[in-house]
Amino acid sequence: MKLCEFLRPASLPAARDNLRELGPKGMALAGGTALHFMQDHTPVTAVDITHLGLSYIRPDGDFYRIGATTPLADIQRYRAPRWAMHEICRRIATHQIRNISTLGGNVCRVFPWADLPVVLLAMNARMVVYTGHDQELGADEYFKTQPAKRYLKGDLLREVKVPALRSHHGFGSVKVVRTAAAFSMVTIACVLELDGQNIKSARVAAGSAIPFPRRLPSVEAALTGKEARAGVFQEAAAQAGHDAPWRGREGMSTDYSRHLAEVSILDALERAASFARERT
Amino acid sequence: MKKNPHTVTFTINGELKTFLTEPDEKLLALLRREGYQGAKYGCGQGTCGSCTVLMDGRAVYSCLLYAMQAEGREIRTIESIGTHDQPSEFQQELIAGGAVQCGYCIPGMIMSATALMENETTFDDETVREYMDGNLCRCTGYEKIWTALRRVLDRQEAAGKKK
Repeated sequence: MKLCEFLRPASLPAARDNLRELGPKGMALAGGTALHFMQDHTPVTAVDITHLGLSYIRPDGDFYRIGATTPLADIQRYRAPRWAMHEICRRIATHQIRNISTLGGNVCRVFPWADLPVVLLAMNARMVVYTGHDQELGADEYFKTQPAKRYLKGDLLREVKVPALRSHHGFGSVKVVRTAAAFSMVTIACVLELDGQNIKSARVAAGSAIPFPRRLPSVEAALTGKEARAGVFQEAAAQAGHDAPWRGREGMSTDYSRHLAEVSILDALERAASFARERT
Repeated sequence: MKKNPHTVTFTINGELKTFLTEPDEKLLALLRREGYQGAKYGCGQGTCGSCTVLMDGRAVYSCLLYAMQAEGREIRTIESIGTHDQPSEFQQELIAGGAVQCGYCIPGMIMSATALMENETTFDDETVREYMDGNLCRCTGYEKIWTALRRVLDRQEAAGKKK
């Protein structure tokens, strides 16, 4: 991406006005790490939104509110009861990139290998989009298609509301990579709600080995109402082939990719169940 | 003559300075052009870490930042760490341990290590790996760099415990 001008609006409404005026010639810039890799070399004006007070993590009732320009390193280092977002952030890219790359940058334009949309889908997070007023969207609706389309008219992500995990909730995530800082080969995240030994509800999401992050409804259906044990997890993971077009790439065949996903789902479910039991 | 020149003002190694730049110029390019040539151009895509500098105390890849993003920030480069005549403690250990071969990655390694030492008080291996995981060395296999850093960190931890 080639920048031809650099604006620093003083407020979120001013930033939105700038972007609306610029249309396709404008681009919101937070960490900006992804801009360096965009192949479109049409000159654009960067609208810097890093000074608008959108870098924060605040507990608020049943949610944690995370500002759109909060660096991944801050999310990784944050600790609180019923908080699990640090786990996946530690596994994204390198220390230097996590210091710059932001939550918003990872969820406003979703690349196929992105990890955070997978986690936010599993956690049933809510995205707060500034459209002149705040509009709140659930993860299922927000990630139904490429979110970047939502921002073409100048709207901006204000924050993400991540539900605080309750005592009988468990979270598990698995990211498979060739090397520590590499893009994911497959990312799985799940939240299990246990009722005694049984699974009351499940949200399981996947990314990277499929074209776009998504939930796995067949896997979830195979878990709901069942006992939280290894055999059930295995049977549920085996449903992954019904839910997504697993694709081979970087030397992986389609079958390998699906098998890797199944193994990762099993691993994530076991982690989530263990997480929930330790906190019940 | 160019109209509307862009400028960026930030603190560089303790001095507040204003630089002419262009919106598309990378921070690394500006630093090297202005004489801070310790930061190296390696991969140019945020992988190798040879361009690492500190921004407000955090290690960042200067090849992945536009110079304009440094406005109002505090930037530190390897030039602020030690000199040829008075190398820093880590630099001394790198020399003593024969941990430098071509040396291209070393400024970045030192900046990441500086962020580690200034931001943390305990240095377990997991934390050290976390801070150093964005710096590649194609010569040494890391062992000697790790040993040199571990010596400095162990001394700092021991000194901290005595206080």
